[in-house]
Amino acid sequence: MMSADPWSRMTRAWADLGLGPKGLIVVALPLAILLSGIGALHLSGRAEAEAEARVRLTFAIQRDIHEVHALLAEAASGVRGYRLTGRRAFLEPYIKAEALLPTTLDRLRRAARDPEIRRRLARVDGLVVQKRDGLAQLAAMPGAGTATGVEAPAVTRALIANKTVLDALRAEIEAMQRREVQLLAERQARADAERRRTWTLTAVMAGVGLLGGLAAAQLLFTGIVRRVRSLEQDAERLEQGEPLSLADEAQDEIGRLARRLVQASDLLRSREAALREGEERYRRVIEGVRDYGIFALDLDGRVVTWNTGAERIKGWTADEILGKHFSTFYPAEARDETPARLLEAARRDGRVEDEGLRVRRDGGRFWANVVITALRDEDDTLTGFSKVTRDVTERRRAEEALGHARAEAERASRAKSDFLSRMSHELRTPLTAILGFNQLLGMDGETLTDDHRHAVDQIAKAGGHLLTMIDEVLDIARIEAGGHALALEALDPTPLLADVRNLIAPQAHAAGVEVRIENDTKVDVMGDRRAMVQILLNLLSNAIKYGPDGGTVTVSLVETSDRVRIEVMDEGPGVPAELVERLFVPFDRLDAERWSGTPGSGLGLALSRGLAQAQGGDVAYRPRDDRQGAVFALELPPSPTGKGNT
Amino acid sequence: MKIAPDDGGLKAARILAVDDEAANLSLVERAFRREGFQQIATFLDARDALSDFAARPPDLVLLDLMMPGVDGYELLESFRRLTSEADYLPILVLTADSTMNARLRALSLGANDVLLKPYDLAELLMRSWVLLDTRRRFRAVTFL
Repeated sequence: MMSADPWSRMTRAWADLGLGPKGLIVVALPLAILLSGIGALHLSGRAEAEAEARVRLTFAIQRDIHEVHALLAEAASGVRGYRLTGRRAFLEPYIKAEALLPTTLDRLRRAARDPEIRRRLARVDGLVVQKRDGLAQLAAMPGAGTATGVEAPAVTRALIANKTVLDALRAEIEAMQRREVQLLAERQARADAERRRTWTLTAVMAGVGLLGGLAAAQLLFTGIVRRVRSLEQDAERLEQGEPLSLADEAQDEIGRLARRLVQASDLLRSREAALREGEERYRRVIEGVRDYGIFALDLDGRVVTWNTGAERIKGWTADEILGKHFSTFYPAEARDETPARLLEAARRDGRVEDEGLRVRRDGGRFWANVVITALRDEDDTLTGFSKVTRDVTERRRAEEALGHARAEAERASRAKSDFLSRMSHELRTPLTAILGFNQLLGMDGETLTDDHRHAVDQIAKAGGHLLTMIDEVLDIARIEAGGHALALEALDPTPLLADVRNLIAPQAHAAGVEVRIENDTKVDVMGDRRAMVQILLNLLSNAIKYGPDGGTVTVSLVETSDRVRIEVMDEGPGVPAELVERLFVPFDRLDAERWSGTPGSGLGLALSRGLAQAQGGDVAYRPRDDRQGAVFALELPPSPTGKGNT
Repeated sequence: MKIAPDDGGLKAARILAVDDEAANLSLVERAFRREGFQQIATFLDARDALSDFAARPPDLVLLDLMMPGVDGYELLESFRRLTSEADYLPILVLTADSTMNARLRALSLGANDVLLKPYDLAELLMRSWVLLDTRRRFRAVTFL
C-alpha cells in the first residue's frame, strides 16, 4: 500500500526501518544537534575573539600613531631649542626620535590592515622622512645658539618648510586617528554583534537541541513504544482468546512480531474451534447414548453431567439430578458405605467396577453394572470421576435362570448317573453268583455227567449273553443320559482299522472269515477313538456272525462331500427290505434267530448308532450293489484340518 | 484247575472278604479253598470286617463297594488308615458298578486293583495271586 503523500511515505519508511537503525537514529539525532551546536558556538567564539583582537590592535595602532606624532613634535621642539640655545642637550629628543621612529613606523606598517590607514601611513612615511631630513638640516645648519641661528633666512625657510611638513604630518596623523577611532567604533560594534550572535546561536541551539530531543522521543514513541504497547494489548487479547486484526504492517521486528501474534491468534482460534468441535461431537455422542448411563461426578461425588442413557436407565432428568450426590442411586442399605468405598477405590486404582442393585427415580430397583474411572488432568491432579452404568437386569435374570437350569441339569445328570450305577450293581450282582458258581461247577468237569456239563455250558452261554445285554442296555442309557464323555479328535482311520482288525481276529479266525481293509482316502475323521473302535467291532462282529463261515468281510473307506464313510460289507443274506426300517430299534431282533440262527441282544446297532450320532455322525445300512450281502457304514465328519499327523 | 504254582508260602496267606451278598462270599471262599488257601475270613457286615482287620491284619482284602450301612468306599478309607505306611497290604475291589467313576474312585482311595462283577473266577484268582506275590516280595525286601 504505497501512498503518494510524502509524509506518509516517510512515516512508512521510518516504520519499516529495523529496530537497530531506529535506535541509532533516536540516539544520534539529539547528539548530532548537540555536536553541531557546540561547533557553532566554537566558531562564533572564535569570531568574537578575532573581533576583540582587532579592537586591541586598533588601540595599539592609535598608540603608535600618537607615539610617532609625539616623537616628531618633541624632536622638532628639541631642534628648535638647539637652534635657539646652541646647547646640544636640546637635541636629545631628536636623537631618541631618530632611534625609535623606524621601529614604531615598521610596527605600524605591520599592524595596519585598513587600506585608508595604510594609504595614509605611506604618506606619513614620506612626510616623516621629509621631517627627519628637515630636522637633520636644521640641526646641522651653522649659527646655533646665535641670533642668526634662528633668524637667518635659510633657517627661517627651513623652519617654515619643517612647519609645513609637520602640519601635513599632523593632519595625516589626525586623519589616521580619526580613522582609527572610526575603525575602533566599527570593530567594537562588530565584536558586540558577534557576542550577540553567539548568544542568539546558543539560545537557538538550546531550542533546536530541545526540539531534537523531543523529536527523537516522539520517533521513539511512535516507532517503538506505542507499537510495543499495542503488541502488549494484542498479547492480552490473545490471552483472552479475542481476535486480533492485522494493524501493524511495518517490516521491522515489531511489525513481524505483531504479524506473528496475529498468526498465532489465528492458529489458536482455529485449533480452539477444532477442539470445540471435537468436544461438541463427543458431548453429542455421549449424550446420545441410550444404552449406557454416562455421567461425570465432581471430587465429592456430585453429579455434574448427565446423558440420555442415564435419564432412561435411572429416570431422573438432568435438571433434577445435577448437583445431587450419586449415592442417591444406591438402595438405602448400601447408601452410606458403597458409594464412598467405590470412589475411594477409583481414586486409588484409577478404575473400579461394581455390580449390584441400584434405585430408579420411581423407587424401582435394577441390577446395574457400574464402572467408575478417575479423571485426571495433565498434571495428574484428580478432577473428578466418570461413571458408566449399564442396566444388566435382563442379563442377570438370564444368568440366574441359566444357573438354575444348569444346577437342575447337573442334579438330573447326577441322579441318572446314580441310577446307572445302581442298575449296573443290581443286575450284575446276581449274575456274579450265577456265573461264578457255574464256573466252579465247570471246574470240576471230570465229575460231571454229559447232561450236567451241557447244562453248565448253557448257563454260562445264557449268562454271558445276559451280561452283554446288560452292558449294552447300560451303554444306551448312558448315551441317553449324556454320560458318555466323548473326546473328539482328528484321527487317521488306517491305524485305527488295523487295531480293530486285531481285536476282531479271534472271532474271525474262529469263523474262518477273512477281514480285508481297503483305504484309498487321504483324510482324517473327527471322532472319539474308543467309541469308533466299539462301533466298528460291533459292525465287524455282526458281519462275521451273519456272513458265511470262510467268507470275506471287506472294510472300505469312501469320501463323500461332507462325510467319511467306513463301510463294512459282508457276504451274508442281507436284510430283508421290509425289515430295514426296524434295524436300529432297540431290542428288535428282526426275528434274526429265525432267519439266520444267530444270537444277539438286538441292542448292538442301536448302541452303535447312538454312539455315532454322539460324535456328529451316523450308522447307516444299504444292501450290497453287486450281489447278496449287507453294507453297514459308520459315517463321520472329516477333520477340518484335512490329513493330520495322528 | 491249578492256576498258580504252589510255592508253599502264599497258600498260607490270610484273606479277608467283605460283601453284603452271602452267595458272593460263599463263591469267593469256595474258589480260594479250591485253590488250597486255608485262611479265608468272610464278612457280611462292614463293622465286623473293620474290627477283624484291626485285630489281625490280613494279607489280601477282597472288598465289595456297594453295601448297606457302611459303604465300601468308607471301609476302603478305614482300611487304608489302619495300614502302616511301610506295609504293602493289597486291596482288590470287586464291584458290580460298571461306571468309570466307580473304578476311578476306588483306585484313588487306595484300592490296588478293581474287578468288575461278574468276574471270571480264574481272573480273580490270578489277580489275587499277583497281589499276594507282590506283597511277599515287598516284605522280603523290607525284612518285615
